[in-house]
Amino acid sequence: MRALAPLAGLAALLAVPLVVTDQYALHILITTGIFIIAAMSLNLLLGYTGQLSLGHIGFFGIGAYVSALCSLGFQLEFTDRLVLTVAPKPVWLSFVIAVATAALFGFLIGKLSFKVRGAYFVIVTLSFAEVARLVALNWVSLTQGPMALNNIPPFTLGLSDAWQLTFYRKLPNYFLMIAIGAGAYLLIARLVRSRLGRAMVALKENESLATSVGIDVTRYLVLAAVVSAGIAGAAGSFYAHYVRIIDPDIFLFIYTVTMVIMIVTGGKGTLLGPIVGGILFGFIPPVLREVAGPELQWIIYGLIMIVVVFFLPEGIVPAVTRAWAARRGRAATASARSPAGS
Amino acid sequence: MSDPAATELLKLDGIGIRFGGLVAIADLSFSVGSGEVVSLIGPNGAGKTTAFNIITGFCAPSHGSISFRGQPLNGLKPHEIAGRGVVRTFQKTSLFDTLTVLENVLTGLHRLGRSGALQVLLGLPSVGAEQRRLCERAAEILDFVGLGGRQDQLANALPYGEQRLLGVAIALAADPALLLLDEPVSGMNATETTSFMAILAKIRARGITTLLVEHDMRMVMEVSDRVVVLNQGRIIASGVPSEIQRHPEVIQAYLGQGRRRARH
Amino acid sequence: MDQLSQHLTNALVLGGTYALLGIGLTLIFGIMRVVNFTHGELYTFGAYMTFFAVSVAGANFFLALALATLVGVLLGAAIEVVLLRPLRSSDIDTTMIVMIGAWIAMQNGEQLIWGGVAKSIPTPFPTAPLVVGPVSVDWLRIFVFTAAILLIIGAHSLIHHTRFGRAMRATFADRDTAALMGINIGLVHTATFALGSGLAAAAGALLGPVFVVTATMGNLIALKAFAIVILGGLGNFTGAAIGGFILAFVEELGAGYISSGYRDAMGFLLIILVLMFRPTGLFRRAERIS
Repeated sequence: MRALAPLAGLAALLAVPLVVTDQYALHILITTGIFIIAAMSLNLLLGYTGQLSLGHIGFFGIGAYVSALCSLGFQLEFTDRLVLTVAPKPVWLSFVIAVATAALFGFLIGKLSFKVRGAYFVIVTLSFAEVARLVALNWVSLTQGPMALNNIPPFTLGLSDAWQLTFYRKLPNYFLMIAIGAGAYLLIARLVRSRLGRAMVALKENESLATSVGIDVTRYLVLAAVVSAGIAGAAGSFYAHYVRIIDPDIFLFIYTVTMVIMIVTGGKGTLLGPIVGGILFGFIPPVLREVAGPELQWIIYGLIMIVVVFFLPEGIVPAVTRAWAARRGRAATASARSPAGS
Repeated sequence: MSDPAATELLKLDGIGIRFGGLVAIADLSFSVGSGEVVSLIGPNGAGKTTAFNIITGFCAPSHGSISFRGQPLNGLKPHEIAGRGVVRTFQKTSLFDTLTVLENVLTGLHRLGRSGALQVLLGLPSVGAEQRRLCERAAEILDFVGLGGRQDQLANALPYGEQRLLGVAIALAADPALLLLDEPVSGMNATETTSFMAILAKIRARGITTLLVEHDMRMVMEVSDRVVVLNQGRIIASGVPSEIQRHPEVIQAYLGQGRRRARH
Repeated sequence: MDQLSQHLTNALVLGGTYALLGIGLTLIFGIMRVVNFTHGELYTFGAYMTFFAVSVAGANFFLALALATLVGVLLGAAIEVVLLRPLRSSDIDTTMIVMIGAWIAMQNGEQLIWGGVAKSIPTPFPTAPLVVGPVSVDWLRIFVFTAAILLIIGAHSLIHHTRFGRAMRATFADRDTAALMGINIGLVHTATFALGSGLAAAAGALLGPVFVVTATMGNLIALKAFAIVILGGLGNFTGAAIGGFILAFVEELGAGYISSGYRDAMGFLLIILVLMFRPTGLFRRAERIS
């Protein structure tokens, strides 16, 4: 039963294009999906370890840039004599390199800031994304700076040159997004349900008790940061090969904020939270766009964030789960003892 | 049976700690032999919990050395000390509040798990097998402390006495060779205390050495092999319970006050 | 050499306002344990208020500065009472998310009201700079630096020589004990947030005329203020004041001699260096871990 629900959800997601055939709507679905994957990865840190990574878009952007650059090929000029030329790589290899690079940054950031955690972690991650943006903007010889990286090749899958599938159109990209999302979901689900995930939650819940039974704080926080950054990098890489043009604005703080809103609204620390919140916030903008300018839209976002924290502090998914459990509980109490507490 | 010199498990030698200008512990030396139950008693502020914090690595002593099985514990982090089998409970009830009772104990079992990140992410079958094994072990521990029927309740929804027991269950899950219990029966009523003493006897029967901080004298005198009395950061007496009960300085420093603090 | 002294003078002017921002933020964090993301918006708000008073309402420049600071204080108090007071028992993440929401709403509110065109604020100072040897300094910049220093001294004596300051320091040291001693913690929190916000608004009012005023001017500034706070140690007044000047010097010299494109990255590199080598900040002994 419990194993079947995600499969049913996956089947429903795969069936969506049967209903939605409009290309623009499909595009919205794909970009929303990419954001949901990124939000799922952030949720691993924010929801399960309690560490707010406000520079999460940094991992996403690094994934996008690394993947784009690897697939396009690039040159690094250290001196006039010492030039490192990297020939264009296949997209799947670029994807792998992007994930690894983002994960490496997750490792470094984690190592650096988990010694002190809390407010420091927030500020370090925030700064990290901002530095990444400035590098993308100023390292023009590598990134083209504000001129953007163009003509990024689309995803290709194939055994040989003769037998290749290239993801130019929306529909195959939708399925690819679902595949990456399902993979990310599976990894995160496995992690949080394992002893490693329990260790992460334990640190958030009660750090001194956790250490007193032998849980190494730094180790599991760094592990969470690595996995989280790697998944965000995967989302970024896919984004780059889907839209096929990226510029330094990919690192804007506002994107991290969007992820945070999705997680907080949906329910942090739940597997479904970022998905529910993400679907909600994926569809609000196209609707709002009809009636409000971008500023008003963002004001509404900001207010929603505040309102959610005040009135639905746990988010939608836990609230619904509880209401559901309470209903079933009431039905059952007639004969059985009621559970203690609320 | 209680010959500490024969198999000395824990040894504190000249431990002292200062907080700012305040001397919390002046000079503390004692040892706990394998299989013993030793109680650390003394009036509030005598430095008992501080001693626990030092032994388990939660704070570093200003001077002195601690060894466990002949190896120094100084400078190790709390999780490393737990990793050697020295596990504590907390004076103030300390649980993973929003997790279920079973999850609390599963978390306590962390040290016994072996699956690493790669196995977990790949979803290897060994991970599931280990999970089932640990769940069984957790259920066993809950039965052991008498919380068998409470598995799926949230920790913070348990009544107070059961929360105290869950705290002990979490510590037991971490497979201690030396268990440090910080006022385990504080706040419990007489019946609960009596049944806790039975649990303590079972813990002892499992071969787990216990260092106990407790205010409840009935329990201390009944369960301890030896008692160490602290006052104002120094040991003022130590010996078997019958000696301690007759020791004039102890009566003056502690037992006289203890009556007034009986409720505590 | 001329260039160097020019850079140093610029750094002093910038450093004064950075110090104001850092002090406000570090007070709020130290006393309330709130990571204040609206700080940069208060800075922006101060600049727009000055613009409004001078250019729209036609007020005297100095009066406008005082007015902007005062309204910043009131706005800060309002934010504290409405958004933070109900959440006082919540953890730091919760308040942080609320403050991020407020930040986004405020920034876009400003964008909506004032539009995307940068505003410049006219000042009564002569346009000809003061020339001393190789260095030339605008009169405006001299005024900004002086005013910032006076405000820093004012805030310092408020904290160290008044009854209210004593209550703030007591709350900082130990909130529960302070409450037991009869200190009204709610009032201290509101006043602290108002004071910090006022300093941020003053910084914006002072720096607005030096540069131009835009709705997004607070973004980088907020991040820099965080850098200053980390540099000085979270909650450390003197550390924040010195940290403000250090950041300004590093930025100014980095932009002058390394690369102007990375000017704004200097603060973050400083953060990373500090965290690597002195995680509790440059000026604090490592005894307080929250």
